[in-house]
Amino acid sequence: MATVTISDVWKYYGKTMAVKELNLEIKNNEFMCILGPSGCGKSSTLRMLAGLEFISSGDIYFDDVRVNDLPPRDRDIAMVFENYALYPHKTVYENMANPLKLRRTPKDEIERRVRRAAEILEIDPLLGRKPVELSGGQKQRTAIGRAIVREPKVFLFDEPIAHLDAKLRSHMRGELKHLQRDLETTTVYVTHDQLEGMSMADRIAVMHEGVLQQLGTPEEIYNRPSNEFVAGFVGEPPMNFLDCTLEQSNVGLTVVHSGFRLALSDQQASLLTAGSAEANVRIGIRPDNLAIEPGADGTLEVPGEIFVTEPLGGDMIVEVTVGGDRVMVKTKIGPMGGPGDPCRIGFDVDKLHVFDINTGVAYF
Amino acid sequence: MASREIVRYRSPLRTALQGLSILFLIFFFVWTVLPLLIMVVSSFKDLLDAFQLPEVGDFGGVGVMFDFKPTGAHYVELFTEKHFGVYLRNSLIASLGSAAVSVSLGSMAAYALSRAEFRGKRDLLFWIISTRMAPVVAVMVPLYVIFRSSGLVGTLPGLILAYTTFNLPFAIWILKGFFDNVPYAIEEAAQCDGCTRWQAFRLIIPLVAPGIGAFIVLCVLFGWNDFLFASIIGSGGAKTLPVATAELVQPVKIQWGMIMAAGVVTTVPMMFLGLLIRRYLVAGLTMGAVRE
Repeated sequence: MATVTISDVWKYYGKTMAVKELNLEIKNNEFMCILGPSGCGKSSTLRMLAGLEFISSGDIYFDDVRVNDLPPRDRDIAMVFENYALYPHKTVYENMANPLKLRRTPKDEIERRVRRAAEILEIDPLLGRKPVELSGGQKQRTAIGRAIVREPKVFLFDEPIAHLDAKLRSHMRGELKHLQRDLETTTVYVTHDQLEGMSMADRIAVMHEGVLQQLGTPEEIYNRPSNEFVAGFVGEPPMNFLDCTLEQSNVGLTVVHSGFRLALSDQQASLLTAGSAEANVRIGIRPDNLAIEPGADGTLEVPGEIFVTEPLGGDMIVEVTVGGDRVMVKTKIGPMGGPGDPCRIGFDVDKLHVFDINTGVAYF
Repeated sequence: MASREIVRYRSPLRTALQGLSILFLIFFFVWTVLPLLIMVVSSFKDLLDAFQLPEVGDFGGVGVMFDFKPTGAHYVELFTEKHFGVYLRNSLIASLGSAAVSVSLGSMAAYALSRAEFRGKRDLLFWIISTRMAPVVAVMVPLYVIFRSSGLVGTLPGLILAYTTFNLPFAIWILKGFFDNVPYAIEEAAQCDGCTRWQAFRLIIPLVAPGIGAFIVLCVLFGWNDFLFASIIGSGGAKTLPVATAELVQPVKIQWGMIMAAGVVTTVPMMFLGLLIRRYLVAGLTMGAVRE
């Protein structure tokens, strides 16, 4: 139950910059996900919130209290670590009771709270075990249990489910989201997995090389990426990028590629003009926004050649060579032909993104 | 952490080596255990029986060594006339005291050296271990002078200090290795739980218990078995068992029975210490703490 304000925060390790001029406000009870590849500064940010790292410059506020100089114990946070960091010589119960014990909670109150947390996390039969006797998922639940036994101002999650196997991970995504809604506690969740961010967060902050790239709801991040990095990082399979040129004709603005020509809408054209776009641009289109049909003589406008098909059960991803570049198309599974066979693909021009080829900034 | 299965393939060389290793073990057993056995047996013999030895090469006559009337007289004499109770106490205080001081100072220093990163850390570590490199004899004379002017000669605190000088660098090095193996994330988690740095340090102490156990054994053994320091710095007021035993060798009469009994008295406590500490020596307590 707190608003977290990160104001002009920089982090240096020696001469290496980890976080650059970060400004971020996390609303009360919000589930904020900090998303980025490894080394983007997301963990440093979280550790500065926790008080485990010095803030090189800038301020962090919990509500109106500046916490820069408070040690972790005085910040009233609870953190779940990537590698769980359980106390190996203590049982699950003792692990979870530790934060309460340190706050001199009465014994029966500790008992009650630990049991309740254990029930929520479905680890109540394991309370007497030691971490070494637990599976990865159980350890992770214990670590979460240690965080939720008390009611901290802020939950900090540092890639808590990164090491679980895929099936358990998808299960835990739902559990964690439900838990956060249930407990109504401000949460900062760090991950490199865009799927976790997209599926759990209220808002996502995408970071890259220490710089905040975009802050927005999952829907905004996915549909209106502010630059090429965000566009390419979010979404699976990733967005296709193609270098093209813009051509002005009497019918309007056209995107020209060696394999195809796409006429842009008036609205898109005006956005490009407003952004004074150069002749060379990079276009981006998600695999979902491309249509494909096998054979050389379909109705779709762009001819291509199949490079490889990857069936995924219900869907399939087809890599297609178009005018010397390769694009991925996601479609329903069906007969498609093999490598080298001809096909035709179609663009959903409304879903097209155009980026500056040098800066990567999105025009739309 | 996991130990691997070692695959063995049968070959003539392997069989021959196996035979050899059994021979070696027999020899080793005789070499190490026989003196102890003779010591224990002789401590219960009176002087006459003690010198009942078979002729050289007369293996059938070994029986005479065990043909005697056991007597506890040597032990009684040790503890009544020779005041071995006092010396035993001195030995215990000096060796355990030094172990306690070394372990508390050493674990804190080791923790700091393990966790903190600072300029000259490697040099500092080397300097610490280098204080162990000088042979005891070489530093004996200056140490004696310092101790005498500080009034520490012939006192137990003096002896504890002398042993600590030599045990502490050792403690720091051993324990640093153990602290290195405890993931820092555990302490960070403890701090987030509400621990201070000091509480977090205390929380992880059980994880380095095998190191502390091993070190206590080595440290106590050093003090317990030491003769040089005890005879020079401890002489007089802080006489320990080895020194007292040596004094049983008198110009007119070597008290073999009592020397053997003193040997037993000196050996037994250390064997118990070994048994006591054994369960702490089992490493692997940190297993499963964090994902490896």
